[in-house]
Amino acid sequence: MLVALAFVGLILLGLPIGFAIGAAGVIGLFEMGGDKFLALGPSKIFNGLNIFPFLAMPFFILAGEIMNHTGITSRLVHLAQALVGHFRGGLAHTNMLASVFFAGLTGAATADAAAFGRTLVPAMVERGYKKDYACAVTAAGSIIGPTIPPSGLMVVYGSLMGVSIGGLFAAGILPGLIICATCMIVIAIGATANDLPKSEKRAQLRELAQIFRQSVLALMMPIIILGGILGGIVTPTEAASIAVAYALFIGTFVYRKITVADFIQMLIRTARVTGVIFVIIAFASILGWWLSFNQIPQQVAQAFLLFADNPYVIISLIIGLLLIIGMVMDITAILIILAPVLVPLTEQIGMSPIHAGIVFVLALNISLMTPPVGACLFVLSSVTGERLERIAAKLWPFLLAEVAILFVFALWEDMALFIPRLLGFA
Amino acid sequence: QSKTLKFGHDNKADPFENPAHACTAVFANIVEADTNGSIKVEVFPSNQLGSAKEHVQMVRDDVIQATLTSTGAIASYYPRIDVLNLAFAFDHNAATYDVFDGPFGNALARDIEATLGDVVVAGFPDTGGFFAVTNSKRPIKTLEDFEGVRIRTMTLPSHQKIIQSLGGEAYPLAWGEVYSGLQTGVIDGQMNPVPIISFAKFAEVQKYMTLTNHLFSPYTLMLSKSFWDGLSDSEQRTIRYAAESCVTASRGLSRIIEGSDRGLAGLMDKIEVSALSAQDRDKFKAAAQPVVLKHVEETLGKDGVTLLEMFQEEVSKANAKRYMQ
Amino acid sequence: MRETAGRLSERLNWLVERVVALLMVLLVLDVWLGVIDRYLFHWQLPWPEVVARYLMIWAALLAVSCGIARREHIGLSILISRIPGPLRRIVLVSMDGVAFLLFFYIAWFGIGFAGGGASRQAMIFGMTLALPFAAIPVSAGLAMLQLVLTAIRDLGTQSLTGQAEA
Ligand code: NA
Ligand code: NA
Repeated sequence: MLVALAFVGLILLGLPIGFAIGAAGVIGLFEMGGDKFLALGPSKIFNGLNIFPFLAMPFFILAGEIMNHTGITSRLVHLAQALVGHFRGGLAHTNMLASVFFAGLTGAATADAAAFGRTLVPAMVERGYKKDYACAVTAAGSIIGPTIPPSGLMVVYGSLMGVSIGGLFAAGILPGLIICATCMIVIAIGATANDLPKSEKRAQLRELAQIFRQSVLALMMPIIILGGILGGIVTPTEAASIAVAYALFIGTFVYRKITVADFIQMLIRTARVTGVIFVIIAFASILGWWLSFNQIPQQVAQAFLLFADNPYVIISLIIGLLLIIGMVMDITAILIILAPVLVPLTEQIGMSPIHAGIVFVLALNISLMTPPVGACLFVLSSVTGERLERIAAKLWPFLLAEVAILFVFALWEDMALFIPRLLGFA
Repeated sequence: QSKTLKFGHDNKADPFENPAHACTAVFANIVEADTNGSIKVEVFPSNQLGSAKEHVQMVRDDVIQATLTSTGAIASYYPRIDVLNLAFAFDHNAATYDVFDGPFGNALARDIEATLGDVVVAGFPDTGGFFAVTNSKRPIKTLEDFEGVRIRTMTLPSHQKIIQSLGGEAYPLAWGEVYSGLQTGVIDGQMNPVPIISFAKFAEVQKYMTLTNHLFSPYTLMLSKSFWDGLSDSEQRTIRYAAESCVTASRGLSRIIEGSDRGLAGLMDKIEVSALSAQDRDKFKAAAQPVVLKHVEETLGKDGVTLLEMFQEEVSKANAKRYMQ
Repeated sequence: MRETAGRLSERLNWLVERVVALLMVLLVLDVWLGVIDRYLFHWQLPWPEVVARYLMIWAALLAVSCGIARREHIGLSILISRIPGPLRRIVLVSMDGVAFLLFFYIAWFGIGFAGGGASRQAMIFGMTLALPFAAIPVSAGLAMLQLVLTAIRDLGTQSLTGQAEA
């Protein structure tokens, strides 16, 4: 109780969110009594960050820094503008489509948010989009990354619950594409209300060819990265470092736009942004430990599900629960703690393991965008300098649409299992 | 008033699914029943409270009172555990029971207790049996087949050296990237006990599995010493025999898993399985053992060598033993 | 007094930022080496993955103090921006105090944590874990220092947008 009060109170009084999470966790340890619990804090901070795949985030931020500085980003955006700029909100649509492409590169939503926040958001702002809106579109698109394979969360779910990881990967493809399409509809509907820009004329074919030639080297970047992953040369985390290497190479030797002083500034900015995000992850692991040790998520889940016996009510309650706990706790930790509690319930009402898995993964990824604890929101806020509450204010139509899609997939098994069945996984 | 024993481990929360939870379930049941509830046992599966290494620290600090820790996790606290990585030591499972329940297991337990100073070691439960090697390059049946196959290992120099001594290449890769690494071909293969291979779904992305049986890494059942010292004699006695049943349960379930659809029998539908012939196994052994011996001498010094010699002696006795004879 | 604190904060931050940049360079090179090793050298180095994690932790945690110096840590200003001026300054200064206490706790127990790492092996280079673990008390100490300096510098007058341009 004291922990919850401290958490909410300190955030409202203007303490940075990461520090408020830390203070709440430490108060929790203090309440348990004795130095042995307080001594646990530093260890949770260290181990909360001691995870190799987390590297993808700083590397994609750094790659973004270099791409912006050297003009790689603006060449790509120029090409996108020439192709779709005559539509209202063309770049917002491009952002969504790029998320689908980028989904093949990353397994974590935060890596996607980091990369686009540093590249596409500034480019959109330059072309007349409001920054909060550009961030909201990027946040909405960032969950496509871990939905379309590869997906880190699906690997954890598959090995934890004994479900085919390949089957979960297959089940992610359709919702990923539908989320993209639906978000594009949301963009189109809100285009006038959000005053999205539109360039006047359609590019001529000759002009288009010229722009394409200028951006060939920039276009090679995603191709090299995707080829590196699918060709089995690098892991998705290492691929982020290849992005840095390519951007650095092009920027230094082809476009000749990077000096040592520039590069130092890019490294410092990358580290600062990473520090702002990682301090939240680190402190959240203290609070998460306190919650697990006192078995609070399980108690909440049991209280929540006590009266439900209708399958639709159970599914809805599970989704609601994941979205709510996802507001204050890291999603991998939630998965580890709650999946063993909740998945047996889905079995009782006859959901197949892959179906339940995709619902879990989708719900948890969506919770990455819900304030106050939404890792994607933190990343975007930190990378772009836009305020959290302003991004959240522009985000809700996308969030509603994505939750609606989640419910469609949760309640309609034939659709959820369409591709896994096609590929022989279900 | 009743005491609470919080027991953390790194496996799933179903006693029929994995040896760790089978072990803790048996332990919890015996302790709660036989102490008439004076000790309450709460089990935290699936690394809910942190990594296996953190579990060890939490036991040492009496934040939790017991854990099952893997040899990889205990190594940073007790480097001499590396002597168990003498490859191809055991001829069969029964020999592992003999060695870890016998004089060597006893000596190892006392050495861990003396080195850490704040724990009590109550047994060495089964993690799921011997290590097997999977890969997608070619079936590995002879030493030559190992040539140039890239195997993922833990960041454990002795494991890397074993693979290298067999002619393979060994690269550490973070656990979270192993599945997709095997899928895309960043690495050709990996090594683990059969239940872990089954549970991590590696058969979906691997073609061949060889039952090399080259390593046996038991859990260490570890209790907090300050908790232990606060127990009555009869409570300590209950915990001792509960631990023994916990070890037995882990072994029983490991063999059952291997023999059922969840283990080898199930994997055989998805992956081409082969066992090493006795002659080939001898060649593997001749290639790997000297490398591990040298590694132990270089890194663990005199105490390590003494412990290793005792291990070798007890293992050869156990290997020679005949059942019911 | 306020100007001096501001200058000190800036100089300290300048230094820490250069160290962080150096760690980032090493981090990038380390991961590249891991990849190149697999295809070119075949040295089968055991350490790039481990070293990458430790460098990442050191760089990110040191950068926490840079975020404090530039007041870049993300917060909500919905309520606090509606509090009248003088009271708001008191609240904001006391929040700096809360943050100071938090990092004091981390530094204090972090010293014991790093000390405990001295008796543990890192599995590479025969190194103990004291070096990676030291990232916690060192960066918490820097954070405390920056919190004091920035609290004196701003005295609750900082702008509430929370984040400067990145
Ligand atoms: Na993906
Ligand atoms: Na959230």
